[in-house]
Amino acid sequence: MIVYLKSGGALRERLRPDVDHYTRRLEVDGTPSLKEILDGLEIPLVFVAFAFVNGKFEHLDYRPADGETVTLQPPVAGG
Amino acid sequence: MRIKVTKENCTGCRLCQQICTIAHYDEINPKKAAIRIEPQFPEPGIFVPRLCVQCGKCAEACPEDAIEKIDDAYVINREKCTNCHVCVDVCPIGVMFTHADAPTPIKCDLCLKCTEVCNTGALTVISKKSAATK
Amino acid sequence: MDGFGGTILRINLESGEIKRTPTPEDLARGWMGARGFVAKTLYDEVPRDADPLGPENLLIMAPGVMTGAFAPCGSKIGFGCISPATNGHADSNMGGMLGAEVKYAGYDMVVFERVSPEPVYLYIDDDTVELRPAGDYWGMGSLDLEKKMKEDLGEDFQIATIGPAGENGVVFSCITHDFGRQAGRCGVGAVMGSKRLKAIAVRGTKSLPVHDLPAMTKATYDIIQRTKSHPLMEPWQKYGTALFVGWANEHGCFPTKNFQTTYHEHWESISGEKLAEEVLVTHKACFGCWMNCGKYSVAKIPGKPDTYVEGPEYETIALCGGSCGMKDIHHVAYANWLCDNLGLDTMSSGNTIGFAMECFEKGIITKDDLEGHELKWGDIDDFENVVRMIADRRGIGETLSYGTKGAAERLGQNTIAFASQAKGMEFSGYDTRWYWAQLLSYCTSDIGAHHNRSWAITADVQIGQDTPKGKAPVVIYLQHIRPLFDTWCCCRLFWGELDVTPEEHVDTIRQLTGWDVTLEECMQVSEKIWNITRAHYLERNGGPGRQFDVAPARHLDEKIPSGPAEGHAVGRENFEYMLDDYYYNRGWDKQGHPTREVLEILGIPYVADNLEKIGLLGKPFEDGVPKVRGEKLKPKAM
Repeated sequence: MIVYLKSGGALRERLRPDVDHYTRRLEVDGTPSLKEILDGLEIPLVFVAFAFVNGKFEHLDYRPADGETVTLQPPVAGG
Repeated sequence: MRIKVTKENCTGCRLCQQICTIAHYDEINPKKAAIRIEPQFPEPGIFVPRLCVQCGKCAEACPEDAIEKIDDAYVINREKCTNCHVCVDVCPIGVMFTHADAPTPIKCDLCLKCTEVCNTGALTVISKKSAATK
Repeated sequence: MDGFGGTILRINLESGEIKRTPTPEDLARGWMGARGFVAKTLYDEVPRDADPLGPENLLIMAPGVMTGAFAPCGSKIGFGCISPATNGHADSNMGGMLGAEVKYAGYDMVVFERVSPEPVYLYIDDDTVELRPAGDYWGMGSLDLEKKMKEDLGEDFQIATIGPAGENGVVFSCITHDFGRQAGRCGVGAVMGSKRLKAIAVRGTKSLPVHDLPAMTKATYDIIQRTKSHPLMEPWQKYGTALFVGWANEHGCFPTKNFQTTYHEHWESISGEKLAEEVLVTHKACFGCWMNCGKYSVAKIPGKPDTYVEGPEYETIALCGGSCGMKDIHHVAYANWLCDNLGLDTMSSGNTIGFAMECFEKGIITKDDLEGHELKWGDIDDFENVVRMIADRRGIGETLSYGTKGAAERLGQNTIAFASQAKGMEFSGYDTRWYWAQLLSYCTSDIGAHHNRSWAITADVQIGQDTPKGKAPVVIYLQHIRPLFDTWCCCRLFWGELDVTPEEHVDTIRQLTGWDVTLEECMQVSEKIWNITRAHYLERNGGPGRQFDVAPARHLDEKIPSGPAEGHAVGRENFEYMLDDYYYNRGWDKQGHPTREVLEILGIPYVADNLEKIGLLGKPFEDGVPKVRGEKLKPKAM
């Protein structure tokens, strides 16, 4: 199935976007969790604060549906 | 077409006021904008954008015929206006604004720049046939 | 002068005299506004032995070059003074609407001198500047007073107020504006109160002079359209800074029960998600910002009135929430309202009250001290009782009103070991035992422990969490670039979160002012400010400087007992290593004293002369002053 991952900053660079400036298109087997997908991309989980899907928070054990877009928020620099 | 105000979405950022005065006066000066934001704080804690709804009562009342209909908007003709402020008094919802440095009263002319910068959907464009466009 | 209001006001509160002078161009270009104006003016004018709560201290209010511009968030304004918490330079930035209003009224700096014989407020309506009686306002809550003044003067006026805490001189009192934005840190509210200045009301109806408005309009318009579709715009609009609560817990830096540990088992009940679900009323923006990260909320607690306030931000959730053991987002929102209306910084208050809760747990503070009340973790009524005692400086509140360092000195019994503070100002919402760069950041910050000077947690994550190496140069770079935003007075979140580059901000300044300024020049202004505030601190507090750049024992020695960061502490050797590395990379000496070499590069040799006169001018390390001071973080190779 197809999953789209998007982000900003250094995390965006790690995703190697290919659809547009922010978005990477991935083909995955089965229904992996975001944790498993990130492991497959060799992105340490510490670089991801949480996922944002369809307007709400999801944890990294979330399993995306086919065609879904997942925004990944890096650890924030704010306060 | 007209500008639809969805006040629940307004966050009070005033970008609309900045772009309005840039577009009409080549200045940054929110006090000269044709849109006003009324905060209602501490309760209920909302922002209410207010701007002209193009009812045309100002044009009817203007003694100089200085307010002209151009497409869907009533627009003040800066050459003809004498700044008499009759339009300010007759506006039924108080959205004909004034500023000491402005040559005429100030009203929305549907340039739509505010809808282009608004990031929350508080200001959107609706066509006469009620199909929402952005 | 394009980009600036044009006038500096000096207000002698004792005599009532108000002086106006044109803003000098060399001040504008050389120091760029807000933090820069404050640093230069305080250094040049405040006697080194001035009591921070006495008549010789200055309170300065100053917007920055970007305030009021059509730019990625030209919303900020700075307040500065000598801090009653640290006895050093202080500046504190505030968002909201006030900065733009001051700029549109035509002012670049307002300097308040001396003390008014009676309570007053400052009234500005473009060119009309008056001190008006505020006797009827004295004693009112910050938020309550803003409501009243908006009713009396009209919505066009922007209002800033202090609460009873500032009137009473609590060293972590703040200045509040726009129903929940603050100049929160450093005790700026106490200095305002010491001058009997209760409020500031401003209306500005002039236009901002701009050098190249079409270019600035196009550039900002393009940034608006580009960032609207940035992936992180939506979560930031929806949750604001509170979105960080989850990561902070899951990666072990969330202050929990006075930093006893770093994972709060109830964090999900005080998270950003909970905020959005349960207490959110509206999203609220600062002037000119389309990310609207502000969250206006209502706390509904049975038996208490509904309370409305902007917040809680991440910091309030961390310090009034986690550090006090709170389990309910309504309680955190209520604690936020209490602090704001009393005029107390939520960060120092949460940290200090958490410290007091630990003292109660250990029997160092008792029910007798608390007028028969307890001070239990997570208890909102206990929190309310003690925060009101602090604002009144009543009983144990008097002791706690000095902050954790001052309270620990008065309580003794080695309470200083678990006071999470640096130089007398409380840590903000990050435990540092697994984030060593963040500890270095806190302990070398010029105003005491505040992350806004350098949020270094990403540096720890990218470089590696269990090493002291490579941290100092990155902290120095951050200490230059982050406070630049407090000087320019635009919000750093567009740069930090939405990939707007510093170069784009510099382009805005060029379009605004007509200066052929570069990022390098701006970074040098920021480094210059850093050095002058360091010199000011040393000139007021003596030397050696190294004795002040110290870390709390809890963070150095006490291993985190539980959670994802279990077992970690910084260790004294590691801290000393980072500090040596820091001093070297700053071009200072081994005691943390700026050298003549670096001060000359920065164009402030007179500061070297002053330090030399008191024996605190540094001699560089053997291999001299590095050409490049501070290094941008390079993400780990992929």
